[in-house]
Amino acid sequence: MKRYFAVLLGILTAIGGFVDIGDLVTNAQVGARLGMSLVWVVVLGVVGICVFAEMSGRIAAVSHRATFDLVRERLGPGMGLLNLVGSMLVTMLTFIAEIGGVALALQLVSSLHHLLIVPFVAVAVWIVLWRAKFSAIENVLGLMGLALIAFAVALWQLGPDWGELVSGLSPAEKPGAESWATYAFFGVALFGAAMTPYEVFFFSSGGVEERWTSKDLGVMRANVFIGFPLGGLLSVAIAGCAATLFLPQGIAVETLGQVGLPVAVALGKVGLAVVVLGFFAATFGAACETGLSTGYSLAQYFGFPWGKFVRPKEAAGFHIILLVTTVIAAGVLLTGVDPIMVTEISVVFSAVALPLTYFPILVVANDPDYLGEHVNGRLANALGVFYLVVLTVAALAAIPLMVVTSMGQG
Amino acid sequence: MRPAVVAVPALLLLAGLLGACGVVSRPDAAAWDDQATLALTDAGSQVATARLALTSAAKERTWSPYTTVLVAEAEEAAAKAEEDLARVQVPPGRADDAAAVLDLLDRAAGLVGEARAHAVDGEYDDRSLLDDLDRLAGELQKAAG
Amino acid sequence: MGSLAEREGYDVGLHLLDRQIIGSDDRLIGKVDDVELLLDDDGSLVPTALLVGLPALLPRFGRHLGARLSGAHRLVRAAAADQALPLVVGFDIVDDVSSEVRLSEPAYGLLHRMSHERAQDPRRCRVGSLLGTPVRCDALPRRSKVLDLRLVGAPGQPGEHRVTALLVGPGRPGALFGYDRSSEPGPAVVAAVIQWLHRHARVVELGPGVDVDHEAGEVRIGPEASLEPLRG
Repeated sequence: MKRYFAVLLGILTAIGGFVDIGDLVTNAQVGARLGMSLVWVVVLGVVGICVFAEMSGRIAAVSHRATFDLVRERLGPGMGLLNLVGSMLVTMLTFIAEIGGVALALQLVSSLHHLLIVPFVAVAVWIVLWRAKFSAIENVLGLMGLALIAFAVALWQLGPDWGELVSGLSPAEKPGAESWATYAFFGVALFGAAMTPYEVFFFSSGGVEERWTSKDLGVMRANVFIGFPLGGLLSVAIAGCAATLFLPQGIAVETLGQVGLPVAVALGKVGLAVVVLGFFAATFGAACETGLSTGYSLAQYFGFPWGKFVRPKEAAGFHIILLVTTVIAAGVLLTGVDPIMVTEISVVFSAVALPLTYFPILVVANDPDYLGEHVNGRLANALGVFYLVVLTVAALAAIPLMVVTSMGQG
Repeated sequence: MRPAVVAVPALLLLAGLLGACGVVSRPDAAAWDDQATLALTDAGSQVATARLALTSAAKERTWSPYTTVLVAEAEEAAAKAEEDLARVQVPPGRADDAAAVLDLLDRAAGLVGEARAHAVDGEYDDRSLLDDLDRLAGELQKAAG
Repeated sequence: MGSLAEREGYDVGLHLLDRQIIGSDDRLIGKVDDVELLLDDDGSLVPTALLVGLPALLPRFGRHLGARLSGAHRLVRAAAADQALPLVVGFDIVDDVSSEVRLSEPAYGLLHRMSHERAQDPRRCRVGSLLGTPVRCDALPRRSKVLDLRLVGAPGQPGEHRVTALLVGPGRPGALFGYDRSSEPGPAVVAAVIQWLHRHARVVELGPGVDVDHEAGEVRIGPEASLEPLRG
């Protein structure tokens, strides 16, 4: 009984933890501008994150190695450092965006300017990272993140023409006013948001921290293969809400308040309250995850003790990194930069950094020295290679598309 | 390869890029049209957002800080759309169009500002304001083409 | 997971460098930032110590970047006499080399600085400086380098670890990603691409005809040495 409960809890937190500020904003933007015509990218991204999260989870369970250990062991110090710098920049951007997202969510409740809230959020995030138990962070915030299911309910309540919504899934249904370059740009952004590298850093480091063994493979797979796709469904529901309400009225999504508006229209104050709670949990949870991920990657690269299970005194370097990154993130936000814009940039740069993270995982997942009998099967390898190609194309296209479409405005 | 061989073209490229980013951008007629369309679409989106926020608030579907934040952000963005276009040098032969577009954008910014005032005061049910917002959103959409 | 060393020997660059070092008390000590080798007069190469710390890691970033980074690191602790010296773990306490390097002693208080005499000993060199050393050989492409060192030895028995062969060929050390070993099939496409990129790479047994000249910074391979293709 207890085991089933643990599996269920894992799945639920995976669902609630899947969506972060990047998914919230990008999906709503895309739904409002391009309708449902990019949902296939979300599906592609979710399958991709499942494939690679399963591989890194398997490596973590069998050989107790987190992702950045592998990066340096396989790529060597030079390429590994390049990788470290790239991933750190992207994760840092995401961290900034998440903290900004928490502040924006609180702004919607208090009407205080988000700049006033940022310092408090940063302190709260740091205290949680320092004091709270790893499982408490994951479970509490993951379960609260389930509040975002309100988007699915809202979509149903908005009562769209389902036939039209489904026929809009084809890329050919792209609204005529938008150019193919814009379409491609948002495609890459959605892909980056779905596959953000920090999810894998966090997932595998968490596995090492929780001391998974090969016995936990089943539970890990259930989390990944059930939790992530259901989390992806939430992303689609967000896009669907925006497509139903905003697309006909010509509203472009530029603020977090707009993202929640369809739920208010469909479900009223209670629904809105639930969804804002979901915003808070999703962004706060992701802020903790990205914050920890910066510490994990640095500590794993240089090989000093890391983790929430080691006492802070023994993992002093790790906790100093957490403190410094939190201070930097708050400092960047206090310059008055728009958190939504940071989010948009972070998902594009995520797309650029994708191959760096996922290539070493694919190689090591085939190495019997690490995995013994648990090496990749044919299907995992076929998908892995397919995604490696897709990731590379997305990474190469991301920056040119960003310039050509001036961040999707053109 | 000698460093100079790399450095000179790189510097030239950089200089070219910087030259294209002057304080005042001077687009040709087609580029100006694009920017005007962008500004009109943006303003139309803000007007529609303000309207949606007010009607939802009138039906008691949002709480007051939420409405205020939503409309205040729309106001800011509408004003920014107008300012951004106003700062672009109008190409010759577009003066009349420019005046019309800027007038429309000005009305949009003003009306969203009025909506914000109503939202802060809690008067969500002003029929005439909602009608104005509705009409202006239509005009902006039509002007954007 | 079988121990690598028990199976068929292992590659220093692939299996030893950058791995975690774990003490017998299960505590993380650090990473294998470099490995020290002893060049014997008879031409054999024996690993003597694992090196840990930035003074060991930074020089591995290449001739130019590495030197600059090491210089910068020395400035941080300009007054310390031991600023440029790495920490040392003797190779005799290496218990097992699997996906981690396990020691036979607990982590607490284990690491000590390398002495100045040892650092200046001309018979000692580091794997990091040996990898990427140009190879002069008529049978190989001109830009060939040392790509990896192949070791044999059973852990836990001092003196048994010994370099038996060099992996040489054009390309970058570490860019084989382990695809030279037949036991790693990998995704067939990736394996095929990497094997094609390294189609000129060869394994050469240490012995007559192979001269590792550390001072001149090159490896000379004469016609009497046998060049074998990579396995797999």
